[in-house]
Amino acid sequence: MMALAPRLQDVAKPLLRVAPVAAVAVGLIVGAFLFANVSPAVALSTLATSAFGTPQGFSKTLEETAPLLIAGIAVFVALKAGLFNIGVEGQLLVGAFAAALAGQHFRGSVGVLACLLAGMAAGLIWALPAGLIKALRNGHEVITTIMLNNIAVLTTQYLAGGPFKDPTSQSPRTVPIDASVAMPSFHVGSQLMVSPALVIGLALVVGISVWLFRTVAGYELRATGANPTAAKFAGVNAKTMIVYSMGASGAIGGLAGALQVLAFKGQFYDGFSPGYGFTGLGVALLAGNSPLGLLPSALLFGALAKGATSMQSLLGVPKGITYVVMGLLIVTYAVVRYRKAVAHD
Amino acid sequence: MSLAVEMNGISKRFGTVQALDSVCLRVKRQSIHALVGENGAGKTTLMRVLYGALQPDFGTVALDGKPCRFRNSSEAIRAGVGMVSQHYSIIPQINCLDNLMLGAEPGFVLSRSSAKRRADELAARMGFEFDWEADAATLSPSGAQKLEILKLLWREARVMILDEPTAMLSPSDSDALYASLKQLTEQGATIIVVTHRLPEVLENCQQVTVLRGGRNVVSADVKDTNGPMLAEWIVGQSMHGAPDRRPPASDEIVLEAIGLSAKGDRGNLALKSVGFKVRKGEILGIAGVDGSGQRELFRALLGLVKPVQGKLLYRGRNLIPATVADRLRQGFRIIVEDRHEEGVIDDWPLIENAALGLHWLPQMTRKTAVCARYAFMRFALAVRHGKQAKQLAVPYLRQTGWIDFAARRREAQRIADRFDTRHGGLHQPMSSLSGGNQQRFVAGRALSNDPQLILAFQPSRGLDISASQKLYQTIREECGKGASAIVVSFDLDELMENCDRIVAMCNGRMAEPPKDKARDRNAIGRLMVGADA
Amino acid sequence: MISDALSNLVFQTVILASPLILAALGGYFSERSGVVNIALEGKMLMAACLSTVVVIHTQSPWLSLAAGILAATVFSGVHWMMTQVYRIDAVVSGMAINAISLGGSNFVNSKMIDPRYSGPMPYFWAGALWAIAMAAPALVWAYSRWTRSGLRLMAVGSDPDKARTMGVNPLWVRCLALAGTGLLCGLSGTLIASNAGSFQDNMTAGRGYIALAALILGGWRPVPTALACLAFGLFQAIELSLQGTVRIPSQAWNSLPYLVAILAIAGFSAKNRAPAGTGKL
Repeated sequence: MMALAPRLQDVAKPLLRVAPVAAVAVGLIVGAFLFANVSPAVALSTLATSAFGTPQGFSKTLEETAPLLIAGIAVFVALKAGLFNIGVEGQLLVGAFAAALAGQHFRGSVGVLACLLAGMAAGLIWALPAGLIKALRNGHEVITTIMLNNIAVLTTQYLAGGPFKDPTSQSPRTVPIDASVAMPSFHVGSQLMVSPALVIGLALVVGISVWLFRTVAGYELRATGANPTAAKFAGVNAKTMIVYSMGASGAIGGLAGALQVLAFKGQFYDGFSPGYGFTGLGVALLAGNSPLGLLPSALLFGALAKGATSMQSLLGVPKGITYVVMGLLIVTYAVVRYRKAVAHD
Repeated sequence: MSLAVEMNGISKRFGTVQALDSVCLRVKRQSIHALVGENGAGKTTLMRVLYGALQPDFGTVALDGKPCRFRNSSEAIRAGVGMVSQHYSIIPQINCLDNLMLGAEPGFVLSRSSAKRRADELAARMGFEFDWEADAATLSPSGAQKLEILKLLWREARVMILDEPTAMLSPSDSDALYASLKQLTEQGATIIVVTHRLPEVLENCQQVTVLRGGRNVVSADVKDTNGPMLAEWIVGQSMHGAPDRRPPASDEIVLEAIGLSAKGDRGNLALKSVGFKVRKGEILGIAGVDGSGQRELFRALLGLVKPVQGKLLYRGRNLIPATVADRLRQGFRIIVEDRHEEGVIDDWPLIENAALGLHWLPQMTRKTAVCARYAFMRFALAVRHGKQAKQLAVPYLRQTGWIDFAARRREAQRIADRFDTRHGGLHQPMSSLSGGNQQRFVAGRALSNDPQLILAFQPSRGLDISASQKLYQTIREECGKGASAIVVSFDLDELMENCDRIVAMCNGRMAEPPKDKARDRNAIGRLMVGADA
Repeated sequence: MISDALSNLVFQTVILASPLILAALGGYFSERSGVVNIALEGKMLMAACLSTVVVIHTQSPWLSLAAGILAATVFSGVHWMMTQVYRIDAVVSGMAINAISLGGSNFVNSKMIDPRYSGPMPYFWAGALWAIAMAAPALVWAYSRWTRSGLRLMAVGSDPDKARTMGVNPLWVRCLALAGTGLLCGLSGTLIASNAGSFQDNMTAGRGYIALAALILGGWRPVPTALACLAFGLFQAIELSLQGTVRIPSQAWNSLPYLVAILAIAGFSAKNRAPAGTGKL
């Protein structure tokens, strides 16, 4: 009996904090729909049927989910070390570009590996400056990664439209990759299409989970994120941790881009990413403590992305609704999860 | 003549703890009144009520006979009550004048020249001198103390509360402080000093009120009391006799520092050419006022800070290139100064906190039989010894980076039991433990798994007398097994009671009393000040 | 000829740098009070969006200015509430605001601004806003140094705990500071729309982040920050005038501000550090 009472209190207080915020968030979303002359119920059902109703629809949802999942993993790994890697967008782009280039020159399953490695290497290199600056100069990684993002967009835009442009095309895009390195989706059952990218994402989630919670190195990473000073006193080399985790995060971001090219797009073009990195941040923030939370989180945003297209074409709801929902979800969840502790007197 | 301050029947409860129970305080006008008691007696809580930072559950407060109720410190300040807390509220990044003015600025538009004039006038009244444009970071502790007093004068405080004012001051600075306080009372102020330093009380204060466990013990005129009486009122029992004899430590030198210099947080030289030796089995005590460089010394010893100069030898080998992890592996253990910042992760369960600093120990990680060497040896041993091969081959298992959860749980249990940490389960977060229990846990962790060099910074902070005794007893046991210990404490008596040898640090330098005065309290006290023993 | 080109360049620089200066000074208030602010972008965007909507529907320059300021201030107020009352990490709440702004402005743009509208759009006179932008740095500096609330702003940003013991409430100081951020970002966003004459989706195009970069380059001091903004504006102006004769691709020029910001962060000495109380409650 005594054990039960404190538990209720532990649950009730956060709930009371969240309730008004959640109410406001829901109200805003409902208001937005009404503003667009759409009944919220209709909008919700359109979204649900579009994302989950048919096998074709669900396959598309899964297609949207794959890059979001891997981008989310990338942000998550850095988050666990106490770092905000906002640069997944840029790392994804350079990874995609690198894979698109490599895909023109390599063949077969070795080629697939080469492309993926190229993507990871590119992502890692792109994240490294931010990691080094944070480790050696304590320069806030949020700002450096945002800057690197912008440079990545501009650089890949220039490269795809200039030196590496497909001469047969009008718009800025690279030469398509060789067919032997493509990773097409495969059938599950009779109608559902699943991409190898998603499978790799799932495997990555499990792998990260095991690594974070069952190895000494993962323990040190989590300690660095939870209390960097205490970790230092416990013998963890904070600088090494920061560089490694940013590097790993960047590599995974690059992998997301590479997989996007190999599994879905076949080439790199200007405007390649509709904000995967940005949304990946939302995926990671909503995932909670364990990497397994990334799965439902990514699926949610994937469904949102798929459903938003239908909502726009069928109901006239502007696509911006996805970002609004993402922002509101983050706020609501963060009220409980990302509360900063206040120093005790 | 009405009393300057009269507090009656003040009670305050924090959760299950009754911090104050019907406490009374009567302060005469223009006097220096001492409020004494042990840690946790309720002195600071009572003053926070007076200062408006805390609302009492019951009780009344009256200033100059008029009843008052302060809802916040701003109201108290307006009524003429000012407090200087133990940790100065000086913001180092802004200049002295701005620090003085903050919160009580003369107007929306700041006229710095007229403010400077007023500041100079107040400073002259006390005989102080300040460079108003300089960043407050350049102030010494006594300079900061003086600025704090000026802040009270700026706000025209009539009742001034000083919480542990001499904690960071050398004895000569303390004398100067009390001279200033006396001057202030002559100018009309009433002063309450919260302290646990009895010599100061006896020498400088007119009345004293003793609190113990949140209750009044006695209020008296200082001239009617003496040291032993006060001590007994504070502690509630007669002090122990002289400490018993200790077995002499061996002659083997385990740690040696020569000319060690290191920088502190603000870039200044906090350790100045420090040299000392620690023998095997010895407990070395480092006495000194807070801020004399003990912190930086420990950081240099643990490996968090690289010394700019000097040599550090551990068991004959150069220690300086070794990382923190290396040193922990060699048996260094630390009881940190600030658990919350440096020692534990509040949100993590006890099991995970138990492993901090020990997480790489072979006994905490799994071994695997999957490796060529093991396979070969197992085969070879099986050929020779048959059934016993499995047992004999154990040392050849390969150490992996995987966590051994069962071992961790065992270790956490052992650590918790060491000093009777009261907890609600090993999976509960660290933050669910009270401060004292957290300290027990941290101490237990530091003294587990074969420590070789124990660095203890204020180890008994937050612990009651029996836990503190058990802690030092355990340190003594480990030293008996061949470890050595260095203890930093700001309480000289604690060091006198528990350490084999005591050195003093003052202003970044270390000095050792001559052999004939090795346990002479006065000699060590003089060294703490920078005078000769 | 040369003086013509030069004066044209100066003019262009002022036009391009003004929104940056206003936004960077908005960031100054927030960061100096201890609240990391990566949401300048979102606040500017909403201001641009809402001022455009109001200008189309009411044809009033003053109302559109007011709407822009209101939009940015409301978002800034929400930011304050999230970081100070609900104690959400400032970076997380900043990104959330950027997301809501991006989506929200897209929403409003689709539903309230007819793309075929070609009627008059009497935005608030941009010239006035350029003048404000040029005068603002000095005003902000004077405010920080010579007023009571300026002193409290600096104190709270340096050490909120100690400021609290001195009777200054960090909660309200930050509320005021973020209101100032809202005001300045509102001016900036309105100016961006006014300069362009219309609203496009995501028209701030990362300028909020460039403003943040300028703030960092300027060491969180008003006048050096404004100089950094002018430098960035100059880069853009040079790029515009070189267009067509260019050997260096436009993307390279556009990357320069970001690159310079990274190098600046990497090379910082102790003097140029962020306010000491950043992130503390």
